[in-house]
Amino acid sequence: MSFLGTRAAVKSYGPTPALRGVTVDVAEGEILAVTGPSGCGKSTLLHCLAGIMPVDAGEVFYRGRRIDTTSEEERARLRRTEFGVLFQFGQLVAELTAAENVALPLLLAGARRRDARTAALAWLDRLGVADLADQRPGTMSGGQQQRCALARALVTEPRVLFADEPTGALDTLAGEQVLGQLVRLAREQRTTVVLVTHDARVAGYADREVTLRDGVVDPTGLGIAAVRR
Amino acid sequence: MSTPHVLLGLLAIGPKHGYDLKRDYDLRLPKAKPLPYGQVYATLGRLERDGLVVRAGQDREAGPDRTSYAITPSGQAALDTWLSAVEPPLPHLNSVLLAKVIITLLVADLSRARDYLSRQRQAHAARLRELTAVKTDPTASVADVIAADYGINHLDADLRWLRTTLDRVVDLHREVTAR
Amino acid sequence: MLLRFALAGSRTDTIRVVLTGLSAALATLAVLAALTVLAIPTVLDGGRNVSPQYRNPLIAEAGLRVGVAATLVLLTIPVLVLAGQCARFGAPARDRRLAAFRMAGAGPRQAVVIAATEAALASGLGALAGLGIYLVGRQVLGSPGPDGKLALPTDVLPPVWQLAVVVAGIPVLAGLIAMLLLRRVVLTPYGVVRRVRTRPPRPWAGLLILGGLGTAALLAPLTRYLLRSGRSLPYDLFGLAVLVAALAVTVGTITGTGWIAHVTGRLLHRFARRPAGLLAARRLMADPWTGSRTLAALLAAVLFAAIASGVRIRMSTEFAADAEYWRRDAERTGEPYIPQDTTFYEGAHDLVYLALTVALVIAAGGLLVALAESIVSRRRELAALVATGVPRAVLGRALAWQTLTPAVAGIVLAAVTGITLQRSLYGGEVRSNWGTVCGASTTDCVVLPPIVRTAPLPLGDLAGFVGVALAVVLTLLLVSLLLLRTSTAVEELRTA
Repeated sequence: MSFLGTRAAVKSYGPTPALRGVTVDVAEGEILAVTGPSGCGKSTLLHCLAGIMPVDAGEVFYRGRRIDTTSEEERARLRRTEFGVLFQFGQLVAELTAAENVALPLLLAGARRRDARTAALAWLDRLGVADLADQRPGTMSGGQQQRCALARALVTEPRVLFADEPTGALDTLAGEQVLGQLVRLAREQRTTVVLVTHDARVAGYADREVTLRDGVVDPTGLGIAAVRR
Repeated sequence: MSTPHVLLGLLAIGPKHGYDLKRDYDLRLPKAKPLPYGQVYATLGRLERDGLVVRAGQDREAGPDRTSYAITPSGQAALDTWLSAVEPPLPHLNSVLLAKVIITLLVADLSRARDYLSRQRQAHAARLRELTAVKTDPTASVADVIAADYGINHLDADLRWLRTTLDRVVDLHREVTAR
Repeated sequence: MLLRFALAGSRTDTIRVVLTGLSAALATLAVLAALTVLAIPTVLDGGRNVSPQYRNPLIAEAGLRVGVAATLVLLTIPVLVLAGQCARFGAPARDRRLAAFRMAGAGPRQAVVIAATEAALASGLGALAGLGIYLVGRQVLGSPGPDGKLALPTDVLPPVWQLAVVVAGIPVLAGLIAMLLLRRVVLTPYGVVRRVRTRPPRPWAGLLILGGLGTAALLAPLTRYLLRSGRSLPYDLFGLAVLVAALAVTVGTITGTGWIAHVTGRLLHRFARRPAGLLAARRLMADPWTGSRTLAALLAAVLFAAIASGVRIRMSTEFAADAEYWRRDAERTGEPYIPQDTTFYEGAHDLVYLALTVALVIAAGGLLVALAESIVSRRRELAALVATGVPRAVLGRALAWQTLTPAVAGIVLAAVTGITLQRSLYGGEVRSNWGTVCGASTTDCVVLPPIVRTAPLPLGDLAGFVGVALAVVLTLLLVSLLLLRTSTAVEELRTA
C-alpha cells in the first residue's frame, strides 16, 4: 500500500457519474499531476483523496489507514493538520488581512495570536508578498492572492498539498511564479503534491502524470474518445 | 535557423575569431542545436565571398583558428534587412509527426497509429517536464527560461494536436485508405 | 422582452421573486384592511358615531377607527422594509446577470429598469394574491358570531377604485424602491461595482439620540412655562416636535447600532483569542452597516414597544391614582365606591401590543432574509474554508458573534432610548387632582388633597418585548446555522 491513494473509487453526483472506479497511488514526496479534459472527474478525485468528499464505493487510504470510513470530524482534523488545499480562487476570507488569512489554520490548531502572526509573516515573506501582510484580498492581484493562499496552505507544514487548477485564474507569468514557488517549497519541505490541471504546461511541473477520461484512468495518457471505442 | 545572419549579428558587436564566434553562439542561444566548427568556417567563407565580412587580422601563428573577422557595411545592411523582415508564419505544414501518422495508416492499421500517438505523447510529456525543470532551476538565466518556454509552448501545441488527431484518426484512416 | 429578461434567473432569483411577492401580498392585505376599516358606514346614536353590528369597540366606535387604520398602515412599514431586504437577496447573482445584459448591449438605465421590472412584476403578482386572500377571507370570516355581531368588518368593501389603486400602486412602489436600492450600484459590462462606504462609522448617532431626547425633555418644562404665563404651545407644534424627536431617536438608534457594531468589532479583534471571534470581528469591522440595516425594522419595533409600554404603565398608574382619589371621596361622603371600568383602555393597549408583536415578527422576516443572503453570497468562500478543515462549528460561532453582537446592543439601546424618550416627554410623576369636589349638596364641597404617584419603569413589559426580540434573533440564528450547513457542502466548490 502506497502513501496516499484510491482503490476502485466510485463517486456520482445524483445520476451523473464522476468517478467510475479509479485506482491511483501517490508516493511520498512526489508531485503528481492529475490531468484530463474538463468533466473527466479530476477535481472529484482530488476532493475524495483529500477527504473533502466521501466516495460512494471503493477505498481511499492515507499512510496505511482508510480515510473514507472515518467521520467528517476526523477528516476535517486531517485536512487541518496533515493536508493543505489550494483552489483556483475564492478561498481567502475577504474581510481578513493577508496575514490573518495565513494565520487562520494556526489559530484553529490552537496557536497564540502573536505566534500565529509571526509564522504567517514568515511565510508571506518566503512567498515574496510580505509587503501585503496587512492588505485585504480584494485589493490584491490574482497572483498575489494565490501566493497568500499558498502560504495559508503551507503554513501548517502539511504532508500533502492538494492544488486544484491553482493557476487557472491567472495569466501565464503570474501562474508560472505561483507554480514555481509551489514546486520549490514542496521540494524543500518534502511535501507530497497532488496537482489537478487541464493544462499540459502546468502538468510539466510534476514528476508524474495520471490522465482521467470520463471517470476512469486513461492508460494512453491521451484522454481521448478513441480509448472507449 | 538562419545561421549566416546569426553569425553576422554576433560579429556586429565586434570582430571575432571563429572559435570565439562558436562559443558566443552557444552562450547566446542556449539549448539550441550545437553549431559544429566546420559549419562556422564554411559559413564565414561564404560571407567573405559575398563581401559581407572581411578578415580583420591574423595572429602570428597563421591558420584558420587565428583569423578574426569583422562585419562590412554591406554585411550590416544585410543584417538590418533580416532583422526587420517578418518571418513567414509556418509556410509549409510539414512535420515528421504528421507524415508518420499518415504513412502508418497507409502501410499499417489503426491500432498501430494509436500506439504511435500514445508513445509520442509520453515522449512529448517527458520532454516538457525536462524543459520545465530547466526553467525552474534557480540558476537558470533569462535566456534559458525563454528558450525553455519556446519548447514548452511548442510541445503543448503538439500535445493538443496529438489529442485531437487521435479523435480523428478513424476518419483519417477511412480517407487515406479510400484513395 | 423585459419580462423575459427579468424572469430569466437562477434559484436564488426565484427565492427573491417569491419573497418579494410575499411581502407585497402582506402589504396589500394591511392596506386593504385599513381601507375597509375606514369605509365602515356610521350610524348616529345619541350623538355618538357607532356601528353597532361589530363586537369589537375599536371597530364599532367611529372615533377610534382612524387610530386602527393608522396602526394598520404603520404595519406596512416593516413589510416594506422586508420587501427592500428581499430585493437585496441573491444580489450578487442578479448583479452578474445584469452585467451580462450590459455586455449584450443594454444601456446602464435599461439594466436598472430590468431589475426594477422584476421587483414590480413580482410585487404585482403578490398584490393580486393579497387581493385574492382578502376577498376569500371576507367570505370565510364573514359569518356573525352567536351574539349576531361581526368580529371583523367583513360586511363592507372599500370602493373599487381604491382596491385598484392599491393593487396597482404597490408594484409601482416596489419598482421605485428597487431603483432606489440600485442607485449605489454601477452596472458596467464587466460586472458590478458597488460603491460602499468604507469610512468607519463615527459616533454622530449619539448626537441624534441626545438631540431627540433633549428636545423631548425640553418640551415638558416649556409647556409648563407657557401655561404659567397664560399661553400654550400650539398643538401642531407640540406634535411636530414629538415626531421630530421620535424620528431622530429612531434614526440615531439604527445608525448607532452600526457604530456599536464597529466598536465591538474592534474590541473583539483586539481581544479575541479564537478564530471564530477573529472572523466575526473582521466582518463587523468590514461592514458594520449590514447588521444595523438588517436590524432596522426590528429596532424600530422595539423602540416603539418601549414607548408604548411606558405610555401604558403611566396610564394604569393614572387610573390607580384616580381610583384612590375617588375611593377617598366615596369614603368621605359615605357613598358606595364604584370603580371605573378601564377594560376598554386595557383592550386598546392590548391591541397596540399585538400590532407591535406582529411588527416584530415581520421585521424578523427581513432579518432572516438578510442573514440568508449573507451566507448564500459567500458560500464559495465558506465551502473552501470547510474544505481546508475549518470546523463548521467555528463558522457557526463566528456567525453567532457577528449576528448577536449588534442585535443585543441594538435591542438594549432601542429599549433604553424608547423608555427615556417617553419619560422625557411625560415625566414619571402622575397627579390625580380634581380640585373642589362636591357631595350631594352644593354646600358639601371640599378640596381633596391630590394623589401623587410615580409611574414605575415598565420593566415587565419591556423585558417581554426585549425577550421576544432576542428570541426572534436567536431563532433566526438557528435557522441560518442550518442554512450554513447546506451552504458549506463541497458541491458549492464546483460552481466556480
